[in-house]
Parts: sequence; C-alpha cells; structure tokens
Amino acid sequence: MLDAKIPSGPLKDKWSSHKLHLQLVNPANKRKYQVIVVGTGLAGSSAAATLAELGYRVKVFCIQDSARRAHSISAQGGINAAKNYANDGDSIERLFYDTIKGGDFRAREANVHRLAEVSNAIIDHCVAQGVPFAREYSGYLDNRSFGGAQVSRTFYARGQTGQQLLLGAYSALRKEVERDNVEIRHRTEMLDLVTIDGVAKGIIIRDLITGKIESHSADVVIMATGGYSSIFYLSTNAKACNATAIWRAHKRGAFMANPCYTQIHPTCIPVHGEYQSKLTLMSEGLRNDGRVWVPKQAGDKRLPSEIPEEGRDYFLERKYPTFGNLVPRDIASRSVKELCDAGQGVGDTGMAVYLDLSAAIERLGKEKIAERYSNLFEMYEKISGHNPYEYPMMIYPAPHYTMGGLWVDYNLMSTIPGLFVLGEANFSDHGANRLGASALMQGLADGYFIIPYTVGDYLAQITPINTDITTFAAFKEAEGQVVQKVSRLVSAKGKRTADDFHKQLGKLLWDKCGMARTEAGLHEALDKIPEIRSEFWDNINVPGSGEDLNQSLEKAGRVADYLEFAELFVRDALHRKESCGGHFRTEYQTPEGEAKRDDEKFCYVAAWEHIEGQNEQQLHKEALKFESVNLTQRSYK
Amino acid sequence: MVKALQHYQTSIGRKQIVATTGLLLILFITGHLAGNLLILGGPDLYNSYAKFLTGLRPGLYFIEALLGLVFLIHIWVTYLLVITNIRSRPIGYRLNSPKGDRSLAAQIMPFTGSIIFAFLIFHLWDFTFTPHSGAASILRDGKDYGLYGLVYNAFSDPLHSTFYIIAMVCIGFHLSHGIESFCQTLGFKHPKHTQAIRLVSNLFGVMIGWGYSMIPVYVLIKNMVNN
Amino acid sequence: MDKKLNLKLMIWRQKGPKDKGAFEIYKVKDIDTSMSFLEMLDVLNEELTHEGKEPIAFDHDCREGICGACAAVVNGKAHGKLKGTTLCQLHMRHFENNETIVIEPWRAKAFPVIKDLIVDRSAFDRIISAGGYISAKTGSAPDANAIPIPKENVDLAMDAAACIGCGACVAACPNASAMLFVGAKVSHLIHLPQGKVEGKSRAYDMVRQMDKEGFGNCSNEYECEAACPKNISVSTIARLNREFMFSKLTRKT
Repeated sequence: MLDAKIPSGPLKDKWSSHKLHLQLVNPANKRKYQVIVVGTGLAGSSAAATLAELGYRVKVFCIQDSARRAHSISAQGGINAAKNYANDGDSIERLFYDTIKGGDFRAREANVHRLAEVSNAIIDHCVAQGVPFAREYSGYLDNRSFGGAQVSRTFYARGQTGQQLLLGAYSALRKEVERDNVEIRHRTEMLDLVTIDGVAKGIIIRDLITGKIESHSADVVIMATGGYSSIFYLSTNAKACNATAIWRAHKRGAFMANPCYTQIHPTCIPVHGEYQSKLTLMSEGLRNDGRVWVPKQAGDKRLPSEIPEEGRDYFLERKYPTFGNLVPRDIASRSVKELCDAGQGVGDTGMAVYLDLSAAIERLGKEKIAERYSNLFEMYEKISGHNPYEYPMMIYPAPHYTMGGLWVDYNLMSTIPGLFVLGEANFSDHGANRLGASALMQGLADGYFIIPYTVGDYLAQITPINTDITTFAAFKEAEGQVVQKVSRLVSAKGKRTADDFHKQLGKLLWDKCGMARTEAGLHEALDKIPEIRSEFWDNINVPGSGEDLNQSLEKAGRVADYLEFAELFVRDALHRKESCGGHFRTEYQTPEGEAKRDDEKFCYVAAWEHIEGQNEQQLHKEALKFESVNLTQRSYK
Repeated sequence: MVKALQHYQTSIGRKQIVATTGLLLILFITGHLAGNLLILGGPDLYNSYAKFLTGLRPGLYFIEALLGLVFLIHIWVTYLLVITNIRSRPIGYRLNSPKGDRSLAAQIMPFTGSIIFAFLIFHLWDFTFTPHSGAASILRDGKDYGLYGLVYNAFSDPLHSTFYIIAMVCIGFHLSHGIESFCQTLGFKHPKHTQAIRLVSNLFGVMIGWGYSMIPVYVLIKNMVNN
Repeated sequence: MDKKLNLKLMIWRQKGPKDKGAFEIYKVKDIDTSMSFLEMLDVLNEELTHEGKEPIAFDHDCREGICGACAAVVNGKAHGKLKGTTLCQLHMRHFENNETIVIEPWRAKAFPVIKDLIVDRSAFDRIISAGGYISAKTGSAPDANAIPIPKENVDLAMDAAACIGCGACVAACPNASAMLFVGAKVSHLIHLPQGKVEGKSRAYDMVRQMDKEGFGNCSNEYECEAACPKNISVSTIARLNREFMFSKLTRKT
C-alpha cells in the first residue's frame, strides 16, 4: 500500500495544521538551495516565481521560445473559486463536494479539500497581479457557471482566462529573472531525470537550438510538464505537449497513477480531414448560453434553420433535466458519441452535433453574446468557414486533458524523494474526470500556495549540494543514454515520419481506448502497440542531425516515448474493470447507459511502478478513503 | 538638465522632441503664411508688414536665432531617429505589402522633410538675404517695389514658381501627417478622437500647402492677365 | 465540397544564425482549402522528409491563435493577408489555385533568425523583465473585491492585455519598432489601480530596454495595428507616450 502522507485530523483542518507542522528553511539559508523547475505553464511559472520570491535559487526550463507560450495560455473559459460573490450558496465545502463528485469519487479527499480552501487566495493574488477579470458595472467581479456546478463560481477574462492567468504568472517570473533569482533556459527539453541513491538530483536536457545535451543538478526537481492528451495525435493540446518528461521520470522510479483517466472534451470543432494537425476547443462557457441538439430524425439533411422545434432533440436537456446542457464533460461527450454512433449526427461526416446559441442571441441580443464569446465565434468562423451568428456551431468531443499522471503524495512529492510534480503532470485532484475551470485552479494552487510550503519542508531536511555534481557517474550515464537515443533516431534512416507513426498510434488509441473502451478492444491495442513500436525503431526517418535545431528529431523522440507509455495507458484501462468519469468501459454501465463504478474493488488509485528489465509495470494501490462524503452513483438528472 | 539629456537618449524622448519642435515650426509656418498672404493686398500693405518686422530688430534676431535652432534640432533629432530605423532592419523583405492603410504622407516624411530643408536654404538665400530693394525689386513700370517687387519678380518666372509650389506641396504633406503624429507622440489622443484628429491634420496640411502656393499662382495669373 | 490547390512556395531557408540564407522554391499539390496554412506547410514537410531533405523549420504550438508562436511574413504581410488573424488560423481557402506564395521570417535586428522561419524573440521577454509586471508577492493580496474597478477600465485593460507577443507588430513596422508590444503592456497595467503604483518607472524602464534591444522608432504609420492578430489599438502607443513623458517629468528618482 502506498502512503500518501495525508495529515490526520478533521478534513477541514488538515491543511492548516499540516502547514504548522512543516519545517521551514531559514531565510538566510534559502539561497543555498538550488531548485529546478521544468515547464512554465500555470503550475511551473507560479511555482518558480514564488520560490524565487522566497529566496531560493531557481533554474527554469521551458520548451517554447518564451515562458509565456506554455499551453496553459489556451485555456479559455475560466477559473473556479469558492468566493460566493454571487451569493448563490457557494462555499469551500460545496466546491470540494462538486469536485469530488465531478471526479466520480476517484480523487483524494484531502487534496481536493485543500484545493477548494486555497481557491479564493488565487483569485485575490491574480487580481493583485493585474489579471483583468471580467467585472460588472458596479466594478465588482463577475462570474459565470460551468459544467457540474449549480452555482456561478467561475471567474473569467473574456474567452482568454488561461492567457491572462499565465501572463500574470509569467510576468511574476520575469520579475524574478530581472532580480537574478531565476535563471531561465528557453527552447530546452527535459530528456531524463537523474537520481543519486534514489533521490532526484538533476535533469538532462537538450538545447533545442544547438542540440547540446546538458546536465543540470539541483537539490530539488519540480516538474510541471503538463498532460499527455496528444498521445491521441489529434487533441486540443498544443503541438509541443508531450509525455517525455513524466515518462522518463517514471522509468527512473516515479510511479504513474491512473494513466487511463483521460478527459474527452465535448465541445470541440469536428475533424475535417486526414491532414488535420490538431483540434480546437470551443469553451465550455458556451454551454451557459448554448443548447446542444441533433435532428430527431436520423439522416435529416435539412438546414438547421429549417428544422422546427419539434423536430429537434435537445438530448442533454432531455436526459439530464436538472443540469441540462451543463452536465460534466465526460457525460456530455458520451451522449454526443452515442447519438452520432446511432446515425443522428450532423455535418458532412455525421460526426458532429449542433451547439446552438440562437435562442440566447434572440433573448440577450447579438451584442451581449458578442461581448461574452466574440473571440470564440471568430475563431470558429476562421476554422470552419461558418458564421455562428447565423448557422449553429457544430461540435464533437476531442481529447483535452489527462487526469492521470505521476503519483504524488499530499506534499506533491512523487515516489522519488526530491521530485515534485505539479499541475496536469500529476494525478492528484480531479479523480476520474475534471470539472471545467478546475485545471487553472489546480495549477495555480499547486504553484502559488502548496509547493512553497512543501518544498521548504523537504529542503529543510537535506543539506544543500553546493558543489558541481554533474560530473558524477549518474549524470554521465544518463547523458550517455540520451545521446545514444538521439543518434539511434537520426541514424535509422527509415521510410516513415514521426507524424506518420504518431497518427497511427493516435488512431488506434482513439478507437480502442478513447471515449468507450471494451476488453476486446483494449487487448487488440495491447497487441498492436509493440508492433508499431518495433517498426518505429526500424523505419523512422529523421532528416538532419542532432547537432542543431531539428524539429523532426524532437517529434520522433516524443513519439518514441508515447509508444512506450501507450502500453501502460491501455493496460491501466484494461485492469480497471469498472466505469468511472472519463474511463468508460462499455461492459460496466447502468441500464440508462451511465458509468457504473465498482467501489468495492476499484476505490483506489492505481499507481504503476516501472521495474528495470521488465516489460510490465507493477501495480501499487493507494486506497481512497472517504470520510466526509458518501459514495453515490453520480446523478445529474 | 540631466533629466532632459536622459530624455534625449531614449526613442520616445527623441520623438517627443521632434514633435514639440515640429509644433513650434507649425506655429511659425502658420504665422508666416498669414503675413505672406498680405501680398494679395498690394505692395503698400505688404511692404509695410515687412518694414514692421524689420523694425523689431534687434529683438527679432534673437527670435530668428531661436527659430533656426528649433529647425536644426528638429532636423538633427529626426536624422538620429531615421538612422536607428534603418539599422533596426538590416535585411529587408523580398515582398513587402502593407496590411494597413498608411498614408502616402506618412511614408514620405523623410523625403518631404529633405525637400523642405533644401527649399529652406534656397528660400533664405532667395528672399531673406537678398537686398529688399534695387534691381531685383523693380517691376515693369520701372519703380522699385521693395520686397513686394522682389517676390513678384521671382514668381513671374514659371520655373521658380514651380519649385516653390512643389516645396509647398511637400510642406502640406509633411504637416498633414505631422499634426496627427504630434498628438500621438505626446499622447494627447483618445481613440474617440482619432478620426477627428486625422481630419484636422489633413485639412491643415492642405490649407498650408494651398495657402503658400496661392502666392506664386497669384503672381503667375496676374502676369498672364496683364499680358 | 472543398477545392484543391496547386501552389508554388518561395520560402526563406537558412541553416543557422550565421548562415546567409536564400529563397528556395517548392511546389505542393492538392492542397485542401480547409487546411490551415501551417497544415499546408506540414504537408510540404512530410514530402521533404520523404525525399530525404530537411523540412522547413517554423515556430508553432497551440495552433489556435493564442500562444503567439507562429510567425511568418506571407506575401509581404505579417501573418498573411487576413486581419486579426495569426498564421495558424489563416486557412487555405483564402488562396487561389496556382498562386505563388512568398514566405519569409520576421525581419528585425532585434529578432535574429535562428533557422529558416524561426526567429529569436527573447527581446520581448527582456522588455517584460524590465517592468512589465505588478510586483505583488504571492500571499500579499487583499480580497479580490476590495478595490472595485470600473468595467470600462477593465475592458480597456483587457483589450491591451490580449497581446500574444508574436512580434507581428515589429515585423510589419517599417522601422521594426516594438512600440505596440510595449504600449499594450503599459496600457494594460495602467488602466488598473493595482498597476498605477509602479506606473511611472514601468513606462520608462520598458522603453529603455526596448531601445537597448535595437528596435526602431515609431513613425506613426500604424502598420503594427493592421498586422496585430489581436487587433490591439495604436491608442495604446499614445498612452505609452503619455506615461513616458510624465514618468520623466514627475519621477523623483
């Protein structure tokens, strides 16, 4: 059994009493400690900036050309907090409960409660940083509602909330760079983790411009490298998003938790061709004012405007009268898939449903709707060529977020001492399904308000290195492995490109381990993945060399790791013989077609350990104990 | 003083110096035009205006020196700005087609500025430093009409007039961008007024250009009628 | 039904920062009009890879118009001819069959080319470092609703804060000036009461850094506004000019 180091005491006092018991580092000593932060999204930037403010020496690694471009920037809708400014009955307890329930009772109670507790401080801090959250005419902050909640607790900045929050964290980070507390390395990719005596002491990176493989040592390594949705090739994630860092850490001993928990977001622009490189999300915020429907008659080819009210099936409202269009993402996505599979889908491919804002436009006027969503509408029109003011948007689910990730304890430390994991890269707070506007909340909670305490506690218990240890054997060995992998990739000189392999893997996973998973399908995938992997190493074509900027090489390295990770991903889905949240096994459903959990057998976190020399990982279980909520069948009816 | 020097060393500071000196020059040009238009009132009026101005000496020397200084600062600082601008893009585009609607006036500012500078030297030599009486001031009736005669004779030459008109068109263009630019560079601009400022700036440019050109045109037409 | 396009591409190739670089001509066939511009380049890159040639290096990431990574001058226009659009959001339906498309990197002394279409935009990061922030330490903030801010001001702040740092303003400016980028940040923060505290030093410090990086001077031709994929207004530049002037006149140190 894994020990998550959850503090004792009543749920609502755990975090405050834990903070009191954490050890502190003397202000004068903080400068002696070197911290490495990998990734500059919300979690990474906020952690790096805050630790630097505290006085630690921080080195930051960023895969993009600027920290501001991390993929958190694309988050549209908003960020949750239990402020209850709307006076609609919100509270820390309610945000906690909604998140636990939304996650289908597969998250750790103590973590989720802490998240709800610090949510308010995040909003305060972001306002102080100059994040221009939407306001009412009174000058006070405005809120909107998101899926899985019956209160309005979501703070937003037009359709660019992630951008504004990230720019806040980024500017705090730049401030610390200016003050020489942070050294930042752009266009670098973490390719391995280095442990000495089982403790994380540094990383191996590749400078993406010069191709140089470098070692960097530190007293603590913090990874905030995001999720792995792009394992499906087509996803809403940015092109640089990848799982290499977490996968490498996993292979060095960090357990991987619940990899099969993936979120398929219901409202994305449908796929329109083979060449397509990514999918674009339309914010969940649109479901506030939009109604999702399909024609009642399968194969009805009439224009949407020609289909009268009685000919339309507002299926979410029909199936879930209480939450209507605002059911959680996993439920909405599955309903869309069911209808399209039954032939009721619309558009050229039949793989789409309408997200119709015409009623809201009529009720509130075009101007009001434009104020709320104009940037989304413009984006939709640019991509699809249709004007959403006149023709209802068409949407289809797409991979968006991964709840799974590296296992961490209550302090956000992985099973490797000295390796902390934040944000989407860890598995911690969303259970089997994440509610809308909670990813931003979690990333910033981890970075601003949790890690500064827990990392301090860890550092207080170790002596700073203060010498150059990058010449040690562990570093040299890891460097050697990276160099070898690079040269193997560039010298294979095969016939197929990295994208080609990636598409093949992605399609396989989407079909077999996507929105609905079956035992037989998962077995099929498990058989097929090693075949693709072995062909990959024989037949990959990486032009150019490893000695300069080589985007083909970067892609190939990431696909290589995905090809290993995919197996664990599928194996986890296979082992979890229940349906919960984003993990839907068709064998396990209620008569109404909802996810059917098996709390007796599967109320645990599946944490997988890599065993050197063995193909299959070993399963460890962290039992989930629910002290303050009752496990119920989730109902949004 | 230190602050002013620091200001001079920054890009915006330099632009604000150009804008401020530009405004002073606009004021001068406007006043100068008002005076010059008195020529339409005949030789007596015009010559008495010239006499009035020369009567202000030696105080006028001081103002003239100041004006010269403003001119030189305007030109020198602009020169510094243009040099940085050229250096800031060492390799240009193969194909460059503007996405915006930048006006011709804006694009040719350094060009119109240079023409104006050349004109200025010519103009000073032409009218300011040439004696305001004597051979060049005698009109067809054989009388010495002073400065009036000098100007009248000069503009009776179509070539001479054309050069003046070209220069005045340049000034018109220069100002039509200049006034708008002044508001932008000093930040006296609100999005609500953008269109109004642009209109005023353009009208002013046209007005100055036309106003000055009217003098040689008037002389040419008068000559034609008299012939 | 979507049309198919055959295109001639003239693309800047440059192996490294110190190489001279030159244009090369490529042909692509059967380009679907619903592709994005970058997907069209993907198609070309796949072909080049199959031919054993090095694909074209170009920056891109989110491909939904918000990260600011993608950047190229297409037929003489930054991000191509559509206004308010990043290159990744420009779709091939806006091109004609048999068209020749000239693709160049951003050109500016402050944005040196790294490879092909990729340029180094770290100058922008350094400008932000010089003062593009509010120095609020984590944990020090009062309640978010403690200071009401007029909606109008927040809207203006948001208009300016929408900047994605792509550098199109610099690329499009006849003088490679970064005034719109700096103006947007200064304007964003000065419209908020929290941002006023450091307002005076911010404008001055950011402008000093901008000058140091080797950007040109604004000549008020507003090409930046026309090229900005987020339609940021040049009134932010006017605001910067004003803040800068008063920062000098009223600053105590």
